[in-house]
Amino acid sequence: MRPLSEQNYYETLEVTSDASLQTIERAYRIARSTYEPTSAATYSVFSEDENVEILRRVEEAYAVLSEARLRREYDARLRREEFNERPRTPREPAIQFESQLEAPPPTGPVLSSSPLAQVEFDLDEPVEPEDGVYDGTVLRRIRMSRGIELEEISSLTKVSEIYLQLIEGNRYHELPAPVYLKGFLRAFAKCLKLDPKRVSESYMERHYQRGGGKG
Amino acid sequence: MWAVGGGKGGVGKSVLAANLATVAARMGWRVLLIDADLGGANMHTFLGVRGGTRVNLSDYLNDRVVDLEKAAIDTPVPGLRLIMGALDHAGNAETTREQRQSMIKAVRQLPVDLVVFDLAAGTDRATLDFFLDTDEGLIVATPEPTSIENAYGFLRAAFYRRLAQTMGTSPLRDLVREAMDRRNERGIRTPSDLLQEIDRLDEKEGGRFRQVLSSFRPRLVINQVRDSEEVKIGFSIRSVCRKFFGIDLEYVGYICFDDAVWRSIKECKPLVLSYPQSDAALYIRRIANKMLES
Repeated sequence: MRPLSEQNYYETLEVTSDASLQTIERAYRIARSTYEPTSAATYSVFSEDENVEILRRVEEAYAVLSEARLRREYDARLRREEFNERPRTPREPAIQFESQLEAPPPTGPVLSSSPLAQVEFDLDEPVEPEDGVYDGTVLRRIRMSRGIELEEISSLTKVSEIYLQLIEGNRYHELPAPVYLKGFLRAFAKCLKLDPKRVSESYMERHYQRGGGKG
Repeated sequence: MWAVGGGKGGVGKSVLAANLATVAARMGWRVLLIDADLGGANMHTFLGVRGGTRVNLSDYLNDRVVDLEKAAIDTPVPGLRLIMGALDHAGNAETTREQRQSMIKAVRQLPVDLVVFDLAAGTDRATLDFFLDTDEGLIVATPEPTSIENAYGFLRAAFYRRLAQTMGTSPLRDLVREAMDRRNERGIRTPSDLLQEIDRLDEKEGGRFRQVLSSFRPRLVINQVRDSEEVKIGFSIRSVCRKFFGIDLEYVGYICFDDAVWRSIKECKPLVLSYPQSDAALYIRRIANKMLES
């Protein structure tokens, strides 16, 4: 395995070269929490300076791979390097790419990905609840298994974090009116890659059973 | 054959080992749980077995019991038998590598489907050998820096021991010994650094060691997780191990912090039986299923 300073941006973020933007964002979030100065995972492994340097590379990789034009240019550059079979060298900052790049060759080998870049950031937890009921506890379990914060769900769905907390806490009597709640549940389910209709119906059924949605 | 270890005490190794074994037994597997903590054995209590003066692992290691199967006792869980660890200082004898190897050989010949070793805290040779000589090594850590530090320490120590065992009488063995001192003059800090140094000195040997070490694929469980940030710590540890240590660690799952765990300990009954609907029991069953499927 090459030292970090020689890894390409895909290797730095541990994603494949065809990773979707969503995968890159998820990998970036995990890499950030891995190398931030207060990270429990690296506290005993790296010095503060080393953490800062690794984090700088992570930010640099994300800045390029999350921006379509920069990523295209970067991919072209990697292909050129592979095509020319030049030894890999540390990459220069993204800002310099455009001026240095020439047009990519019309044909050439596809970007290879090292074993390191085959990493998944899901634990492949089963999403089906054991009794088939999607209540707040189940939704929380699934969200945690995906390593997603309520804050992220809130920013994606525009549903207030307080409502999301009430949904996860099964606090039926404090939840908003059913017409709003159904929409919140569908949006929440979509973020967790669950069937929005099924989750909403299952949750609402329990909600009515427990006396929610009245008044 | 599985081993549950992890360096630090109190992170939930025994709870996980007892419950994984119970899940497998409930699925119809013939399971043997071995309490390999020769200094602080208490697996029997987790399972509701009174220790007293019953036969234990030390009796076998000290030749007081010749047939290993006779050292196994029944537990309240049908299908699950237990070899207890030593209960007192007198039984806490040092074991030799030969004794341990011969025991592993005897274990493999027992008429059971699954053996689970519950390892002691720390990185003494016996603990590392049991971890390395079984088929699946599980490392348990909690999301605190102290526990994670010990888990890395355990991984490093296990890796170096496997490497040293592979080397036989090779002169490179001294290099491994040197690398184990983290303040060594060569600046070797991680297993990955060590392999690079070996490559530099003897490329052919380096290739051979890499091949042997590619089979070192420990698994990680994060215990007592309270939020999704702590779930991610498992991915972070995996990243560090793969990127910087060159160790192919697999993050197999996590267990939520759950009061039901200590209630089950107080009741001396495995969690998956006493509180089967608890969050922690659910996650343990998932880990067990993953392990059994593989």
